[in-house]
Amino acid sequence: MWWEKKTRPAAEPSSIRPAEAPPAPPEVETLMSEPTPKSSNPSPKSTSLPGAGGAHTLLGRTAVVQGQFSAGEDLLIEGQFEGNIHLEDNCLTVGTEGRVKAEIRARQVVILGSVTGNVAAREKIEIRRTGHVVGDLIGATVAIEEGAYFKGSIDIARDDGSEASRDIATPSTVRTGA
Amino acid sequence: MAPSKGQEEIAKTVSGPAATSRGLQWLWQHLSHLRRPHCFECGPIRQSTLDVLLLRGVKLYASDLITPAQLSSSIFWRLQGKTQVFLIDDFLAQIPTIPPESLSAICCWGLLDLLPREALPPLVERFHSYLQSGGVLFSILREPHVTAGAETRWWFESLTVLGSSNTSQKPFPYPALTNREMERLFPGGNIKTFLTRSGRREVLGVK
Repeated sequence: MWWEKKTRPAAEPSSIRPAEAPPAPPEVETLMSEPTPKSSNPSPKSTSLPGAGGAHTLLGRTAVVQGQFSAGEDLLIEGQFEGNIHLEDNCLTVGTEGRVKAEIRARQVVILGSVTGNVAAREKIEIRRTGHVVGDLIGATVAIEEGAYFKGSIDIARDDGSEASRDIATPSTVRTGA
Repeated sequence: MAPSKGQEEIAKTVSGPAATSRGLQWLWQHLSHLRRPHCFECGPIRQSTLDVLLLRGVKLYASDLITPAQLSSSIFWRLQGKTQVFLIDDFLAQIPTIPPESLSAICCWGLLDLLPREALPPLVERFHSYLQSGGVLFSILREPHVTAGAETRWWFESLTVLGSSNTSQKPFPYPALTNREMERLFPGGNIKTFLTRSGRREVLGVK
């Protein structure tokens, strides 16, 4: 299923009203440490946050979505998502209840829930203590908290956007070093 | 496999004194010609390890094999008759997808001291298959007189300085591995050993 977001005015029903700012880096901690508004509506919602510096989309706890998601705003997933997520200039947060099976591309990714799939971030990838990630990570910086589960590979993206692994020096000699 | 509460607790380690590692000095000297070594970290990932290795330009594979081994996790054991059998295939399934003969180094720390003898040949053989020619399996083995410390954790404070947790009094479940056993386990038997003052040996198998 493929769907497009619909931008809605700020004064939306309270069931989808995000109470905190989108997961911009300094604000993620606050966002996640406080109660997250839960949506009973399975479709993603978008809303503008007055004074929050932009809109973001919330996929609520009961939401189950398959398909491709792309947007020009931040995304918070507390439900289940399967497919592809492209947020080239924005942040993705997978909340503690979030369950994601997807190829993810974003400016920044913060994971507190479960992600299966490869994650590429132009800036930072964070896996918090409650995070569970199986997949390959490519980012400018990567942070993994103690207690988080991670299985996969980690590569640093170069300034030119290429993965570090592309310019691996091929070892052509056997060194005994003895 | 999701981390259990026990795994989370055991991951909150208390740091002991950091120590310069001659084994690691040798390892990074050995790999100095590689701009982008590929390494596999078998322990619970720590930010200092991540920072140190990524700064070195490492492409890092990671999966925590140590914690379930330290916890003697029941999911890797099955009772057959009156005997507990270690499910090595299930254990190996925790390893991420790694291309064969692609790794420059594997840091398995004290893992080999934590598993039953019958599990070691397939494990070391698997590790060996991941190593490129000249690749190194880095392990830390206890001396036979060291009987406690099974929950000790190791990590990189820098490329050549090891951090460790030294609060564990949990006894080791199996006899200490000898160098001769390591030579038999590691195909080719090319083993280098560095003794330390802490009753551990840094044992490097070179492919």
